[in-house]
Amino acid sequence: MNVLAIETATPACAVALRTGEGEEFSLVVAVERHHTEALTPGIRDLLERAGVAAKAVERVVVDRGPGLFTGLRVGIATAIGFALGASADLVGVTSLELLAYGASRAGVRGNLVSVVDGRRGEVFVQTFGLDDGVTPVSEPRVTLPQSVLDEWIERGDAVTFTGDGVGRYEEIFTSLGTATIVEQRVPPVLEAVRLGAERPVESRIVPLYLREADAVANFTTRERSS
Amino acid sequence: MPAPYAGVMALVLGIETSCDETAAAVVDEDFRVLSSVVESSIDQHRAFGGVVPELAGRAHVTTIGPVIRRALDDAGLDPRDPAIDGLAVTSGPGLIGSLLVGLSTTKALSLAWGIPFVGVNHLEGHLFAPLLESKDLEWPLMTLLVSGGHSLIVLQRGPGHHDVLGETIDDAAGEAYDKVARWLGLGYPGGPEIDRLAKAGVSSALKLPVSMVGDDFDLSFSGLKTAVVRATEAHREISLEDVAASFQSALCEQLLRKLRHALERYEVRGVALAGGVAANSALRDGVTQLAKEFGLVAHLPTMAMCTDNAAMVAAAGLYRLSTGVPSALDLSARPNWQLAEVS
Ligand SMILES: [Zn+2]
Repeated sequence: MNVLAIETATPACAVALRTGEGEEFSLVVAVERHHTEALTPGIRDLLERAGVAAKAVERVVVDRGPGLFTGLRVGIATAIGFALGASADLVGVTSLELLAYGASRAGVRGNLVSVVDGRRGEVFVQTFGLDDGVTPVSEPRVTLPQSVLDEWIERGDAVTFTGDGVGRYEEIFTSLGTATIVEQRVPPVLEAVRLGAERPVESRIVPLYLREADAVANFTTRERSS
Repeated sequence: MPAPYAGVMALVLGIETSCDETAAAVVDEDFRVLSSVVESSIDQHRAFGGVVPELAGRAHVTTIGPVIRRALDDAGLDPRDPAIDGLAVTSGPGLIGSLLVGLSTTKALSLAWGIPFVGVNHLEGHLFAPLLESKDLEWPLMTLLVSGGHSLIVLQRGPGHHDVLGETIDDAAGEAYDKVARWLGLGYPGGPEIDRLAKAGVSSALKLPVSMVGDDFDLSFSGLKTAVVRATEAHREISLEDVAASFQSALCEQLLRKLRHALERYEVRGVALAGGVAANSALRDGVTQLAKEFGLVAHLPTMAMCTDNAAMVAAAGLYRLSTGVPSALDLSARPNWQLAEVS
């Protein structure tokens, strides 16, 4: 099965492809938020490199968040369009689990917290148990970096932090003696093709925002322009 | 590159997500609408008195897939091999977070289907609406394009050839309706409600200033809104119906006076109304009258063609793809793309 994966949850933007023969290709197409411009040309280049026709893609896996809202929408909309055009299946994975699988592949064992930068002083986090497999032990949630740290100070257990949120709040996450940091700025897109290939097909992708639209709380509005 | 697609654009799929409507439509080379699907997220925005960009963006992601499927299905096309020759998508102006959804989906479809796409200016889309509804269209055309986001007087010399004669220097006409409606405690959007109330009111009840009396074609509505606020504060006894009628009359008076001025200045064969405010009954009556007076054909859009839709985008795209170069896959959205910049 030819599987295409799209990763746009962070300021970087990456694509990966696994062919029916098990060959894997990946490409970071943009580093600083040019998802709209770079994503589809990136997919085109990747397919060319792999020698796979667009219509031969049988499954599209997309990171449905949490992460930067605009980036997520670009990624998911692209996945929807590509899957429709190629008559491919559509599967969603989360940025937090991609980070956990990436850490696991890097040899991390024990407690792992995936930390994605949520902007505005907040992070999206989820805790996993890494042994032979990857087991989520908490739900994805939005919180303050310091709250994550306080939790692990209280528990006193060894823990590994990973994700772009760790780099963003480095001084906080490095202050914990019992913590190890594994650098992964971008959720690993190759994990998305591997993980997505095993998942059941979804009728639609539900973005994982973990935060209400601002206006719902703030009542900031812009005029309608129809 | 010269125009490589001339004559081969038999079927175009249009996609529109610039504001709160998620829309897809299939239009053929004779500007026949084979399907047109529009989903609006307006109900989510009502409580906020205007479109909330983040909510609109979220709604587009949820609806874009089903909307495109339905448009293909309604046109009798198989998504697997839809016999579509090209794609057209609104790439501006509009809300950036909304534009990106349609643009991203369209690019991916373009790559997967192996067909060209073109980014279309939303306002040019509105200008193409008459082509979809009037088969006997004769050029040039004087068009009044009025919506919640835009108010322009445009001289259309032919399809895709337009000169912006004037536009609003502050609020759009639809925006003025919304602001006055909010002031009066009416719902959002304000246009339909004020239009309904105005029918039972007396338009001379409130004395409102005549604005923009200059010789140009520019428009202005923010002063009118302020005048309504002042006048209603001074005359609290005046009924809602009378306020609505007075405001609507003053707004239409300005639009029609400028349109008349344009018709006196330029020789045209027809006059067209476009955009969301084209649904307004007083404006439709006024344009009909004006056309009659000048011996011109009036092109009034159906209600479905007033609101944002993808058929008009497909029509503009059909023209752009047939006469020009398709867009590249790295096209950006242009939230502030002016009609005057379209070439
Ligand atoms: Zn519009």
